Amino acid sequence: MTGHDLMTKSVAAIRLRRDDLISHDLTTRGAAALRLRREDLVRVISFIIVLLVCVVSLVTMASAPGWGGTHALLGIHEAPTAKTNSAPLTVDQAKKILTRAFTAAYLGETTTGEAANADLMTAYTSEGLRAANAQVKLASVQPAASASPLLAPHPTLLAVSRGFGFPRFIVAQTLASEGGLPTLHLLISPDASTPYRICMSVEMVPPATITPFDHLSQGSPLVTSGTGLAVAPATLLKLYAAQMVFPAKNIPKLPFAADSFASQLQVGAAGVAQAVSPQATFAQVHKVVPNSVYALRQASGDALVFGVMERTDSFGVKPDQNVNTAANKAFVLLTGKKVITKAASITTLEFVVFAVPRSSGQATLVAAREQIVAGSGS
Amino acid sequence: MPASTRRALGALAAALGIVILVVGAWIVAILGPSGQAQVSATSKAPGSIVVTPNFLNAVDVPVRVTATRRDGGAVLLEVAPSADARALLATSAVSTVSGVRYPAGGLDLHPSGAGALPDISTSDVWRLAAKGAGSAVLVVDQARAPETLVVTSGDSTALTDVTLTMAWVDRAWFFEALAMAMIGAVLAAFALNDLWQGRATPALHSEAADTQAAEVTT
Repeated sequence: MTGHDLMTKSVAAIRLRRDDLISHDLTTRGAAALRLRREDLVRVISFIIVLLVCVVSLVTMASAPGWGGTHALLGIHEAPTAKTNSAPLTVDQAKKILTRAFTAAYLGETTTGEAANADLMTAYTSEGLRAANAQVKLASVQPAASASPLLAPHPTLLAVSRGFGFPRFIVAQTLASEGGLPTLHLLISPDASTPYRICMSVEMVPPATITPFDHLSQGSPLVTSGTGLAVAPATLLKLYAAQMVFPAKNIPKLPFAADSFASQLQVGAAGVAQAVSPQATFAQVHKVVPNSVYALRQASGDALVFGVMERTDSFGVKPDQNVNTAANKAFVLLTGKKVITKAASITTLEFVVFAVPRSSGQATLVAAREQIVAGSGS
Repeated sequence: MPASTRRALGALAAALGIVILVVGAWIVAILGPSGQAQVSATSKAPGSIVVTPNFLNAVDVPVRVTATRRDGGAVLLEVAPSADARALLATSAVSTVSGVRYPAGGLDLHPSGAGALPDISTSDVWRLAAKGAGSAVLVVDQARAPETLVVTSGDSTALTDVTLTMAWVDRAWFFEALAMAMIGAVLAAFALNDLWQGRATPALHSEAADTQAAEVTT
């Protein structure tokens, strides 16, 4: 049986003519029914199909979001991914932040009242705010605010943080217009909703210098561990605080070089102890303030480490003794007491900045400052 | 190649040419000689409006964003790194641009979240900002992409009925669209001409087929 016969018999079985299954003849019969020539019907159907394709295509292109044709024409592409090796803010942004913070600091230190308090809170944060409040409170017995390094007209932007994590920082340096030592400032932003504020302002110790940071557009990474450094930042500050205790303790293998700030404190503590010895005992401890240590990587691989220590000077008055504290104007201003009979303490914040080498060697102190912040007595 | 296949391909090429011609001409008309592409939408859902980098940084030319409040209130446009903007708006009601319809000129907005807007004015993450009464305009360059644009009232007040318009200008687009229309016209012309020239062949073929069909039925 041929294929032709098979088809004829099959259609006979389902009561159809063979030609009914052939579209060629369906078209012909359809054209005849419409009183058209076959090729005219084919042309009409082709035209309708083309028209439908055009309309559907146009509607799709006009209304579908992200259509490839317009994407190609307008050069639309995927958004670039965030660079992890760039600074989260521009130089202009950083300079505006510095101007805002330093202006508020100046206003807070040179005026009084609620507005001054608000300005201080705009300018400073954490231990920096604590020190600034105390400085304002003790302005009458300490150097006037007009001597503040914050009066420097043009702060130099040294570094901004790298990447989009938090905390973020800005490091700036000022030099008072009347001369004197440069001051390093560390500004911190702990999260996206909190603005940058001055965390610490520390006067540099001569003849220290600051080695360059990475370019401002790249930012400088925050060092979160001691990896790649001669000593871990947290360990450095802990040992520095420990070696300044009075009565002194011998700590071997110190990871930092001797400096004038520490030696002056130790000499001063010994002098105070000797001066008050007829009437009182004296001890001094230094503790690193929690979450106050920030280490910033420099272009050379070294790190600049900022930290805050809290010093407590404790006096134990000997039995049957009355100590006149009138000579210590800061203590009187903070406590309101001119005579103590039992005990007294003075709390001082110590801001320090170290340069830590990347591989071996000793860290060196590059900036230090202290500020009495509290006192108590009975 | 069989005549029917040739006809089908010709029709397809003609359809493609017509589509390219019409779309190209349409875009030429919309862009104008200045080459400005513009899309806009009105947000009715309360809350801030967010334009993510998928739309803000999708083209290598600056984007001009205009926000207009129907009630004439304050409008603040700000741009920040996307991660920071997300962190600030994580708990608040926002309408996010989720699609651009071009050349139709529409923007799709997707509302999400329900909380009030926190005070974001004190944050230092904003690289660019523009504020205005009733309307504000901000031109965002692509130098620090990816970034996110946020439209707020400048305080915790939720925005409603705000029209957001995004516009890009590149004169080259006009000439590209013109070239597109020309290519479509040429393609359509050639394809239609081929179909016209080939209409005699199918007629002869059809008559031969009709004769063959008649012989089979007898």
